[in-house]
Order: sequence, then structure tokens, then C-alpha cells
Amino acid sequence: MFKNLNLWFLMSLFVSISVLIPILTVSFSFFEDTSNYYQVLKDTFLLEYIFNSAILLIYVLILTFLIGTTSAYLVSFYEFPLSNFFKWALILSFAVPPYIYAYSLVAFFENYGTLFTILKNLFGDGNYNKHIPKFDGMIGAILSLSFSLFAYVYILSRASFLYQSQNLIDLGKSLGFSKFKSLYKLILPAARPAIVAGLSLVAMETLAEFGAVDFFSVNTLTTGIYNSWIAFDDLAFANRLSFFLLLFIFAVFILENLSRKKAKYHLNTKGGFKQKEKIKLNGKKAFGAFAFCFLILFFSFLFPLSQMLYWTLKFPENFYDLSIITLTLNTLYLVILSSSFLILFSLISNYGNRVSKNKTLNFLSTLSISGYAIPGVILAIAFITFVAWFDNTFVKAYGLFSIKKIFIGSVLGLVLVYFVRFYSLAFNGIKSGYEKINISVDESAYLLGYSKRKTFLNIHVPFLRNSLLFVIILISLEIIRELPITLILRPFNFETFATTAYISASEDLLEAAAVPSLFLILIATVFIMLTSKYILRMSNEE
Amino acid sequence: MKNKFLEIKNVDFSIGGKVKVKNVSFSIEKEGDIICLLGPSGIGKTTILRTIAGLEKIDKGSIELNGKLMSSNKKHVEPEHRNISLAFQENSLFPHYSVKKNILLGEEKNKNRVNKKLHFKDIIKLLDISKILEKYPHEISAGEAQRASLARSLLTQPDLLLLDEPLSNVDQSFKEEIQVRLKKILSKLKITTIIVTHDSYEAFYLGSKCGIILKQKLKQFDDPYKVYHFPNSIEVVNFLNRGILIPAKVTGENSLENDDLGLIEGKFIKYHPKGSNVQLLLQPEDLEHDDNSNLKLEVVDRKFRGTNFIYTLKTLSEKLIPVLVNTHHHEIHEIKDKFGIKRPIRLEHIVCF
Repeated sequence: MFKNLNLWFLMSLFVSISVLIPILTVSFSFFEDTSNYYQVLKDTFLLEYIFNSAILLIYVLILTFLIGTTSAYLVSFYEFPLSNFFKWALILSFAVPPYIYAYSLVAFFENYGTLFTILKNLFGDGNYNKHIPKFDGMIGAILSLSFSLFAYVYILSRASFLYQSQNLIDLGKSLGFSKFKSLYKLILPAARPAIVAGLSLVAMETLAEFGAVDFFSVNTLTTGIYNSWIAFDDLAFANRLSFFLLLFIFAVFILENLSRKKAKYHLNTKGGFKQKEKIKLNGKKAFGAFAFCFLILFFSFLFPLSQMLYWTLKFPENFYDLSIITLTLNTLYLVILSSSFLILFSLISNYGNRVSKNKTLNFLSTLSISGYAIPGVILAIAFITFVAWFDNTFVKAYGLFSIKKIFIGSVLGLVLVYFVRFYSLAFNGIKSGYEKINISVDESAYLLGYSKRKTFLNIHVPFLRNSLLFVIILISLEIIRELPITLILRPFNFETFATTAYISASEDLLEAAAVPSLFLILIATVFIMLTSKYILRMSNEE
Repeated sequence: MKNKFLEIKNVDFSIGGKVKVKNVSFSIEKEGDIICLLGPSGIGKTTILRTIAGLEKIDKGSIELNGKLMSSNKKHVEPEHRNISLAFQENSLFPHYSVKKNILLGEEKNKNRVNKKLHFKDIIKLLDISKILEKYPHEISAGEAQRASLARSLLTQPDLLLLDEPLSNVDQSFKEEIQVRLKKILSKLKITTIIVTHDSYEAFYLGSKCGIILKQKLKQFDDPYKVYHFPNSIEVVNFLNRGILIPAKVTGENSLENDDLGLIEGKFIKYHPKGSNVQLLLQPEDLEHDDNSNLKLEVVDRKFRGTNFIYTLKTLSEKLIPVLVNTHHHEIHEIKDKFGIKRPIRLEHIVCF
């Protein structure tokens, strides 16, 4: 291990330790004393937290599976009006984080809400409130999460469907299968690993979700962690809850990894691949497919967008009250700083792995990308716990200045935790670019007299330009939408669109949450449109 | 004593911590020689090239080029500091540069060289790649990429050129022509070359020496003629697959006897005591056809090879013997026909194990 001690090795070691810190902190804190709150909660709400998390998870998985695979099946196998448009438009749902979806859902269906106004304008005064369904509590959380997250299943199953050869369809026909029988006997089983991978991502996001469940007052493990820290100032208990949640997450993470390995196995080789011919739908069937995709696009994207736009126009004073420029600058500041760090370290780490071919380094890199699986709430709280412990144990013991102010409630701390959370995005994005450069390309460069540095700068960086751009946009998209880490670690009076929307919503000022939410959706939409080609292409290549 | 151009002494060639070929020693005596290494896929031929190029390190033995130590367990000259070029089997062109730019990078390496023996235009013509110069690596076929990569390697005018299956993706119809051109240019420019291939005909044509790698060892390193006609082990015979071994008994200084074929005469390559039981190597060109002979064997297969047929004959003891006959021989024998073998049987050389 130490034979290969070099800059690349040390960088990767640093990144891996940064990611391991929250996990270790949570594990060690499990044995620490907690306040009475733990006993109270253990006797009352702990089971409820676990039960609610499980229920939420099960229903969201079912809904995202149904929406994701059906829409992917329709756009992959059939031609119908606007099918090419839906192919990419359906990923726009990524622009709407679950908490903003939750605000729209409540705003639309609440008493005297948007639906009430529509009915009143259409049919005059009436007691509509008692007939309007209320999507709050658990149902609201399930719907918000499902419509925001189904795109994971959509993208991965579509990629898998695209790789299915015409031979598979022809095989179904020759066996006398109907279209439906072909779907459940051949197409879905062949795409199973990709669907499981998509569902695993949904599961991780659901278990990590904070904004929407908090808004609907659904007590899950995530909100429990946040509340035990914010309301009862009990970090040890927050960490103890985090430990339970991490067990959940790691089970999902392992499942996801296993299914990905199989997904590679299921890919067809180029030689045996026969391009599918899309079946052209006519009449009622074409309308049915169009209607399904349109409704999904409408509910997942157009509905929250219109709701936020409507409120922004209806209450323009909120727009003037808000300093859009400051919020934009704050968001940009975080985006630029975090992406620069992430890109730099991911590039070094990837290149280090490539040139050193060290198994330990490879293992450490695999470990370091697990940060994405850890919920933002846990990362933020574990970070605070670690800084406080380090400060008390080492810094104060030697009579030095406290480092708490440097890391907690500062942009530096925020960027560091973003780094841990989104490192896997940057690392994997660059890695997939690197996988397209055959190792013999590097070796040819060495044989042409290029040094390692020159190979990196003259061969790799120009080739990876597109991958880097894609990764930067993807990180930006995540940071713009990110809520719990920003909420917990941001400096005093430092707000982003996400935190402003959350604070207004938590103060029951939903209409005030509309302006930052609208901006967030619009900016995220632009980023998605810029990268949609890459997202769809990259998922095809996985 | 004059230094050998390349000297490999007792080297264990390994990749990823796994030894692929053990205790290899061979040398290239003078500049401009062409050596071919033959062996089945995955045996470690490429590992040998990679190690000579400096892409892999060694723990045992030494590699010297022009009298300078390049690799040993204590020293390792990095690939960028050896003037050795390796043309990979797979596409190793820089994906973001055009074919032309890729090839010119080879010339760039030697921009300060006064004595330039080869120029861009010559090499383009030689390898017939003028039509793909403006294309990008992903837009050309595997064969074209291989030729472009070869062009880049040749333009670097290395001290030692290493070619890994250089023509494996080139169309058969074009392959022989390229082989001729390649041999001509390598000889003209006196570029010392090691070529790895699994095609024995390519190796026999291009190489002044051939090495056979089998079962983790360099089994034989010799002139192509000797490798073919005087294989030094049963493994080499089986690998070349150009003959069969039949049991025989040594009856004299220049003769042996087989139950099916009778007396066989010729010159032994290696001494075998009278009365010893041996395995005799019979190659297709060893036996002669004679329609009038009283030694008749049954035809069980016939392969048409353009200029000749190779008949497979079955002996009474169920051995299958290949015999080569000119295509213009007046009578074409069918399966199950009786096929005459000229007697007495005289072999140019007798190879036994």
C-alpha cells in the first residue's frame, strides 16, 4: 500500500476519509448518552417514525414503478403524437423538488385554494371546499415524492428498453405472445436490473427526503433526526436515529450495486443487436398513449410550474419583497465554489486511479462515492458533531482558537458537506468519460514522449471537456435544489432559493414561497434542457 | 566484445502481479533485424512487448537496449524516456484528433532529428491511408485505425519498433500486400522490430527469427525455416499444427520403420539409438503421391488450398496423415478413394521425439 504512496493516493485517501467521517461519527455516537427525549421518543414515536418511513417507501416505489416503466415503455416501443417530445420532456420533473411539489399540491387543493378559484370562476359561488379532495399528510407526501422522483425509473428503464433488440420482440411474436404478454414475459424481465437500479435511487431519495415530509408533518426518521437536533438540541440522539436510517440506506445501496452488475450482464453485444422498429399507433391507442404521457408531464412538471407562476402573478408584492439578485448570487457562489472543488478532486482522483492501478486506491474510491447514499440531514448533523468533538478534544485542549466558527454556519462548512454528498456525481460523471478513453491511448502518449502531466493536460482534459460540462451542470442542479444541508449549515442571513421557499412555507406563507420556487424550477429547467441530451445518452451507455 | 542491439536476460514477464512468461532470454544481434513472437492468445506475447516498451516493470532479469540498461529489478527507464514505439492491437489513436494530426504527432517527436529517413507523405502512401486523413478515429474501420497507428509509430523513427498483431484487423486481400510493403520499409530504414502475431505465415514471412511462446516459456527461438522444419518439442509441433506424430522404431543410422508405412529413410536431426521407439513428425510435404504405388491409404478428407490440395489419409492403425499434392495433378481423388504413397519413403530430414 505504501509502496504506491503518491499525490494521487493521498488525494483519494483524503476524499475517502472525508466521506467516512460522517459514517463513523454516526456509528460512534450510537453509544453516547442522550437526553430524556430519547426515552420519551422510544416509548412513543420511534415506531411511528420507522412505520411511516416504510409506508412512504413502499407506496412511492409502487407509484414510481408504474409511472416510470409505463411511460418509458410507451416512448421506447411506440410512435404516437409528440412521442419524440415526451422522450426528453418527461425528465423535466427533475426540476421540481418534492418540497416544491408539496407546496403546489396544497396550494391547489386547499380550502379556497387555486382549484376553488377555478371552480368559482367557472360556475360562480358555491360550497366547493367540501367536495375538493385534500392531498395532505401521508398521501400528499407519497404523491409529491412519486411525481418528483419517477424520472429515475423512467430514464434507466428507457435505456434498458432501447438496448433490447428487435430479436427479443420477434421472439415474442414467434412464440405467439400478445403485446401485453411480451411486455411481462420478455421485456420487463430483461429490463429488471435497470428498473431495480432506478427504484433503488428512488428509495434512497425517499428515505433521505426532508422538505416534503416535514411540510406535510409526516414523522419519518429524517424529520425525527432534524427535530431531535433543532428542537431538543440532542445531537447524540439525532445520530442514534441516523444510525437506523443508515442501515436502511445501506441495504438499498447494496441491492442497487448488485443489480447494476447484472445490468451490464444483460446488455446486448453490438454484433447481435438489431435496431427496434417502433410500432406506429393510430386512433384510440395513439390518443391513449399521448394522453398518458401528457398527464404525467402535466402532473409532474406543468402543474407545479403553473401553480407557482399563478401565485407569483397573483401576489406580485412577494416578488418585489424578495432580493432575487442576492439569492441568485448566493446560489451561484455556492455552485461555483462547490463545482470547482468537486471537479478538481474528482479529476485528480480519477486520474490517480487510472495511472496508479492500485487496488487499495480503487477500493477507497468506491467507498468515497457512497456519500450520495447518505441523507443530507445526516451528513450535516454528523459534520457538526465531528467538528464539535474535534474542537473539544484537540483544539481547546491545546488552548487554540475554536474552529467551530470556521466550519459551522459558514460557506466553507457548507461546501465541504456538499462535497461529500455530491462527490459520487462528479466522480462517476468523469469516470464514465474516462472509460471512453482506452488505456492504450495513454500508453501511446507516453511512448510518444509525453509525461503524465502532459498526457493529462493535452489528451485527457480536452477529451473530457463535454463530460466536465455535464458534471458541472448536474452538480449545479443538485445544489440549487438541495435543502437540508443548506438549511442546517448556511451562514446567518445567507439564503438560497430553496431555503427561502422552505422558510416561507414553514411559516404558512405558501404564496410567498411561490417566487423562489418558481425561480428554482425555471433555473433547474434550463439546466435540464442543457443536459437532457447527455442524461439520455449517458443512461444508454451504462 | 560488441554489444548486442537488444538483450533480454532471464526475465520474468508479468502483468498485474501475475507472471505470464518465465525466465525468457533472447537477443537481437544487429540493428534492423526483425523478430517475430508467436504463440496462442493470452499467453503473454503482448506483455513481453509492453515490458520492453517500459509500460510494465520487471522483478527478475534485465533488458538492455544498445548496451544501456532499460529494465531490471532496480532500474526502470520510463517509456517516455526510451526511444521505443509500440503500435497497439486495439485502436490507440487520440480520439479528439484527426487521423492526420494523430500521425503527425509521431513526426513531432522527432522534430529535432537531423537524419530523417521517413516522411509523412511516404508513410501515407506506403500504408494507403490518404483517404482517411481528415477523419476522426471513431469514423474509420478497425483495419484503418491499425494502419494509422502503425504510421504514427513508424514516423517516430524509434530505436526499436514493437508491433502487436499489426495486421490482425486488415482485410485478408490487402494483408499480404501490406506485409510486403512493411518488410520492405523496415529493411530499407533498418528499423529493428519485434512483431507479435498468432499468424505463423506472417511470422515466417516477416521475421528473420521467430520465437514460440507456449506454457509460460519461450520454447524455441530460431530461424523461421528451422522453427517450421525442426521444431524442438512436441508442444511446438502441436502449436504449429502442420503435421502429425506417428509411432516408429529406429532401425538404423538413417532409417526407421512404421507399421503402416514401412521403411522410412532420411537424415536424423537428432541422434536416436537403434531400436528405440520414437514419435516421427510427418508434415504434409514429406510424403509424395504416386498413383502407381502399392502402398495405398484411404482418403478421408480433402482441403483445396489454391495451389495445392491437402489430402488426409487414414492408415490401418487409424492414424490420419496429411499429404500435399499440386492442384494440377491429373487425377483428383475423392473421399474413400485409395491414394498411393511413393515408395521407398525418403524424408529430407527426420524429426523425432
